[in-house]
Amino acid sequence: MLLFFSLILYKLQSLKKTLVIFAHPYYEYSTANVELVKAYEGIDNLHFKDLYEEYPDFHIATFRERKRIKDFERLIFHFPLIWFGLPSLLKLWIDEVFDMNWTSEDDHPLLNKDAVIIVTVGGKKDNYSEKGLYETTIPDLMKPLTLSLKVNSIEVKEIIAIHDADDLKEAELKKNSEEIKKTLQIP
Amino acid sequence: MTENSLAMTTLIFLGAAIIMVPLVRKLGLSSVIGFILGGIIIGPFGLKLTGRDSDDIMHATEFGVVMLLFLVGLEMEPKKFWKIRKKILGMGLSQMLITMTALFLVFYLADWRPDHALVAAVCFALSSTAIVLQTLKEKNIFRTEAGESSFSILLFQDISVIPILALLPVLAKRPEDHEHQLLLQYLPDWLQPFSIILGVLLLIFLGKFIFVPFLRYVSRSGMNELLTASSLFLIIGVSELMASAGLSPALGAFLAGVMLANSEFRHELESQIEPFKGLLLAVFFVSVGATINFYVIMQDPMFIFTTTVVVLLIKFMVLLGIGKFFGLKTDQNFLVAFALSQIGEFAFVLINYSTNLYLLNPQLNAQLMAITAISMCVTPVVLIINEKFLEPKFMTVEEDVSDDSEPIKKRKIIIVGFGHFGSTVGRLLHVNGIQATVLDNDSQRVNLLKSNRFKVYFGDATKPGILRSAGAETADLLILCLDNPEKNKLILEYARKNFPQLKIFVRAKNRLDAYDFYNNGVDNIYRETLGTAVDMAVDILKATGMRSYAARRLGKRFMMIDKAMVRKLAKEQLKDKVSFTVNESLEREAELLAEDSQSFDESQWSDNEDI
Repeated sequence: MLLFFSLILYKLQSLKKTLVIFAHPYYEYSTANVELVKAYEGIDNLHFKDLYEEYPDFHIATFRERKRIKDFERLIFHFPLIWFGLPSLLKLWIDEVFDMNWTSEDDHPLLNKDAVIIVTVGGKKDNYSEKGLYETTIPDLMKPLTLSLKVNSIEVKEIIAIHDADDLKEAELKKNSEEIKKTLQIP
Repeated sequence: MTENSLAMTTLIFLGAAIIMVPLVRKLGLSSVIGFILGGIIIGPFGLKLTGRDSDDIMHATEFGVVMLLFLVGLEMEPKKFWKIRKKILGMGLSQMLITMTALFLVFYLADWRPDHALVAAVCFALSSTAIVLQTLKEKNIFRTEAGESSFSILLFQDISVIPILALLPVLAKRPEDHEHQLLLQYLPDWLQPFSIILGVLLLIFLGKFIFVPFLRYVSRSGMNELLTASSLFLIIGVSELMASAGLSPALGAFLAGVMLANSEFRHELESQIEPFKGLLLAVFFVSVGATINFYVIMQDPMFIFTTTVVVLLIKFMVLLGIGKFFGLKTDQNFLVAFALSQIGEFAFVLINYSTNLYLLNPQLNAQLMAITAISMCVTPVVLIINEKFLEPKFMTVEEDVSDDSEPIKKRKIIIVGFGHFGSTVGRLLHVNGIQATVLDNDSQRVNLLKSNRFKVYFGDATKPGILRSAGAETADLLILCLDNPEKNKLILEYARKNFPQLKIFVRAKNRLDAYDFYNNGVDNIYRETLGTAVDMAVDILKATGMRSYAARRLGKRFMMIDKAMVRKLAKEQLKDKVSFTVNESLEREAELLAEDSQSFDESQWSDNEDI
């Protein structure tokens, strides 16, 4: 028993220095995300960045972002799927913060990082498949993001898609929260 | 020492108050008990410092009660007054009737003469508006259910003083043995109800068509003293008018207050009258203490004390029963019952009046006066017992009391200054359904805005009292939009000292003001010369051929750098304790320009914290 607890303790301590980049243009109308972001509450070594709250006028403090991102070991991109893509501010944030020249440099702020993508989706899971309504998959739709990360040598550890996000019951949301918490811990 | 001048006696009274109140407050008691104790000490039984005058002074300072009611009226808009009408009628009427009946029965059974018993019962059914309201204000429970119930009952009692005054002469007819010519000096009974209606109608008319235009006229002169004078003129005028119409001045003042509660002068009047009220009430309570006739008590102490206890008990039980019937929560109910169990200051008036009518003999008069005064002194003690021993027992209900029963809630945002700048701020809030309390000292503007459904009040916020009466103690945000930076600074410093919970947003003219504000601990500073100038520069950049998006981005970036710089320079200014001369500020300007070329260098990103 003691061993078990010390294992958990060890695991908690070993949580990578994490930056959650959360982007939600209509957070006040969201039911799922309000519940899901609670997974990040009170966790050491984790910084939660709410983009739409921090940059309401879409003017990103690029230099500051670049400087701060350096220290993190894991980036978590958490957002709703909007018109089959990233929320525009998140896209803008990547445009501004990531520098094209970095792909050819040996030393840049995005070194030594991995990433997790958590995306909430309004539609049914079945629609997002090769043979489904939209004839495409979530990982495909995430390509612009995953490729941007990849060329900057950031490994995408996991893509978690949460479907039917507007109709999830509390129990289901709890389950998703647990999944997010577990993902935070992966080495 | 009986030949003291009125001023001398007043001096002694105030002295007693000044010495006793801080002492009593230190012991955690209400200031009322301090005043009364002070009165007892300087009174004929103590240091014998007061002469015959104390009676006169008590009557003179009864006016404090009138002012208190005026202020209460000011806090109560007619709509809210209408909302608690059921409470006023239900709780008030039942309290008066049941208490009167119970007291009469007890006195009658104790072998008092029926007429004595009736007069005493009527007088003793009343509670003390002054003590209770003062206590409610001190405990800051005016807006709770208990506060509202107490207030409703007191209001009904104040109203019922009028018919009682009319009833007493009728009562006096019954014993055949006394002369009747005294009665003829008073109004015939049938005229009484008529005069009440007339008086109230007159007041409503005055409030609507005379008071506000009058105050507007005065405020346009821009002289502060004149406004103080007219506030006093108004309140004294109303009470005199009511008195001559056969109405209680207190009721008149209350109604005048209600009539003015919706006007833009509400906060200004409040802060003007407040000091006078405090002064008069202090002297009033001291004189209550000083008029307690201990010789009468000594003659028959048992009678006095048993009667006091019986009266307090009966009033307490009746109030408790009514509270229960009207669904008050237990702790609130106890508070109301304890708070209203004393006999009120109107009893002094009624007892003296009855003696004039030969309803009471001087001996009984003195005894009843003593009982009244003692019961008043007991109230603060009883309330402490309630607070220390009973309230903790019912504490569980305390929590939901605070949030669900606040009918007289004040606005959370205060905007000071509603010129071109402030009104723009206010309009954006307004269209989003956020109501703010607005203070402005341009009466013409205030008048204009009021008609557009803005909650605007007339008042000079640089005067300390105004902010408080606008509700700064409970407000969350203070928005300073005055044109004059010095005035903004003055209010800012005062607000930060006295209302530390306020989050302050301030308008600044230029960078130099901003330094001051930053160093005063304010973070939300809005330089009117920054945003618009940058907007203009952005448009000029566009006109020179730059793409709009690039121009906008550069403008934004410039603004962020500028704000960061000002913050930095403000700290330096604080360190060096310098204030900039024109020349120095030009130098700083040059420094800023030099800094700009650095900050805009793309390769410098790792050195810049703020952009």
